[in-house]
Amino acid sequence: MRTSVKKLVTAVSTSVALMGAGHAAAEIQIGIAGPMTGPVAQYGDMQFSGARMAIEQINANGGVMGEELVAVEYDDVCDPKQAVTVANSLVNDGVRFVIGHLCSSSTQPASDIYEDEGILMVTPASTSPEITERGYELVFRTIGLDSMQGPVAANYIASQSPERVAIVHDKQQYGEGIATAVRDTLKDAGVEIAMFEGITAGDKDFSSLVTKLKQADVDYVYYGGYHPELGLILRQADSAGLDARFMGPEGVGNKDINTIAGEAAEGLLVTLPPAFDQKAENQALVKAFQDKGEDPSGPFVLTSYTAVQLVAEGIEAADSTDPFDVAAALREGTFQTPIGTVEYDKAGDMKSFEFVVYEWHSDGSKTPVN
Amino acid sequence: MQDLLYFSQQLINGLTIGSTYALIAIGYTMVYGIIGMINFAHGEIYMIGAYTALIAITGLAALGIAWLPLILIVALLCAMIVSSSMGWAVERVAYRPVRGRHRLIPLISAIGMSIFLQNYVHLAQGSRNIGFPALIDGGFNFGSGDGFQMSLSYMQITIFITTLICMTALSLFISRSRTGRACRAVSQDLGMANLLGIDTNRIISATFVIGAALAAVAGLLLGMYYGSVDPLFGFIAGLKAFTAAVLGGIGSIPGAMLGGLILGVAESMTSGYLSGEYKDVISFSLLILILLFKPTGLLGKPEVEKI
Repeated sequence: MRTSVKKLVTAVSTSVALMGAGHAAAEIQIGIAGPMTGPVAQYGDMQFSGARMAIEQINANGGVMGEELVAVEYDDVCDPKQAVTVANSLVNDGVRFVIGHLCSSSTQPASDIYEDEGILMVTPASTSPEITERGYELVFRTIGLDSMQGPVAANYIASQSPERVAIVHDKQQYGEGIATAVRDTLKDAGVEIAMFEGITAGDKDFSSLVTKLKQADVDYVYYGGYHPELGLILRQADSAGLDARFMGPEGVGNKDINTIAGEAAEGLLVTLPPAFDQKAENQALVKAFQDKGEDPSGPFVLTSYTAVQLVAEGIEAADSTDPFDVAAALREGTFQTPIGTVEYDKAGDMKSFEFVVYEWHSDGSKTPVN
Repeated sequence: MQDLLYFSQQLINGLTIGSTYALIAIGYTMVYGIIGMINFAHGEIYMIGAYTALIAITGLAALGIAWLPLILIVALLCAMIVSSSMGWAVERVAYRPVRGRHRLIPLISAIGMSIFLQNYVHLAQGSRNIGFPALIDGGFNFGSGDGFQMSLSYMQITIFITTLICMTALSLFISRSRTGRACRAVSQDLGMANLLGIDTNRIISATFVIGAALAAVAGLLLGMYYGSVDPLFGFIAGLKAFTAAVLGGIGSIPGAMLGGLILGVAESMTSGYLSGEYKDVISFSLLILILLFKPTGLLGKPEVEKI
């Protein structure tokens, strides 16, 4: 009995190993790592939707160097600890190209592992400047930086010549980073900053903060962080009768803020990447998303699509699936993508990326203001 | 005048949040008082109460019912019934089988239950923040038109009044009713109460049910006051309420009320006069200080060694 079990186990494991080997030869695995669950999962939906579409379309056009792309998906819940676990399992699974992560605080620790293990990472959403400041060879992004987004927001606020501005952030890498960029630009423009304060992400009671904002009598409040907290701040500010205009980065710009804040979300200002889905040359792609019943208008859908496309084109240009060769090809080449012409500098940042100020409405739509 | 208004506003903010901490803290303190264990799943019971209320409100809205008192009463009843059954079930499933063993075993069982319930709601309701409709709008404003205006919303008044009613009812129940007397007897000496013919299992179940019902009230109130629910918010609120219970003296019901209010006011004053970043630092430092100088908490009685 015992020997037969042993034999069975050996047989099964051998065949599994063989299957695995057979898999690897004909396919290129593309890891997609982002939040499938957790408080910011809606951004993850955008990321996965965009990346899956790109993989689908590339495969339909014959794949990359004749090989098929296979998506391997990982959930990091936007939690730095989980991101490290995900990065390690990517290494174990032998994945060599990653689209992700989404939250800067997850991308940062995960990228350390990728760089060490020779995995190429393209983040479609992390805007923290620190990610590309460390001289890593294998880290790229298809989005701009907080150091570009912050000044756009600050310049807009300054152009409205407010008397006093308050800046609030969620003490996380992304939120505090962008809030600092806004503060510095506003200071240079000579705007009085009445408050610069952190809150705790996940908190629900902002009544004290709102009271403080009221007391400080500010015209504008800039919030660096994500929508769950800003939604509540907007709502509690509205019911406490705070008369100030709120502004936030792309982390607050999604329809879920409307379900939390309701009418209070009307008039919120948001800096977002330009609406790539409105561009004439992307209409065929937009239609492909709509045919699948997906919405391409989210800020990270087409950046994720582009990330996959760049990896694929990088592999073709390098004629190799070695991540270091692909990285070199990405730095050298010029690529035509749905988010425009992409060229990389040495750090792995795009040479140009534009942010636009939008006004958000309580029905979840947005209109550009400049 | 301006400063006074600002101070009063922060005081009101603190008392509002403090009263709901107190409502949740009752559940911790009663259970501890009777069986000497910390029910870590209590925060999750509160969260489930909030979700149930939200589902009830959405359901009523779908049926086209718009009469506010009816919506609130139905939501409250649904939340209390579901939470109480949860509280009862948690005790039956996770605590009764391990009661009387080493202290650590029920504690670990409680933590396991908390993780289970959190993930259950993750699966059943999704992990996103869900907006909670603001059913009670508006309020009073004080202060001149130009300067700082203090506002006292109807929602805050509702929270004070509901908390007051719940606390009074609970105190009366504990001091006057037959079950209440039995509760006190069980908390003094479980074995002796058993010998004297009190059905201690029933009393312990009742404790869990009462604590869970109050947590459900807090769930509905806070859901409406803040504006959103997510599967994790029971954990944070539970931690705060537990702190409040320890601050006031765990095992003491008036202590839980006092602890909740002190914690709420300390938090709002810290974010009002210092910075929101130090909110938790100050409230937990306060806890440590009180425990250093009065280890039983503000109103806790020193434990008498039973021989």
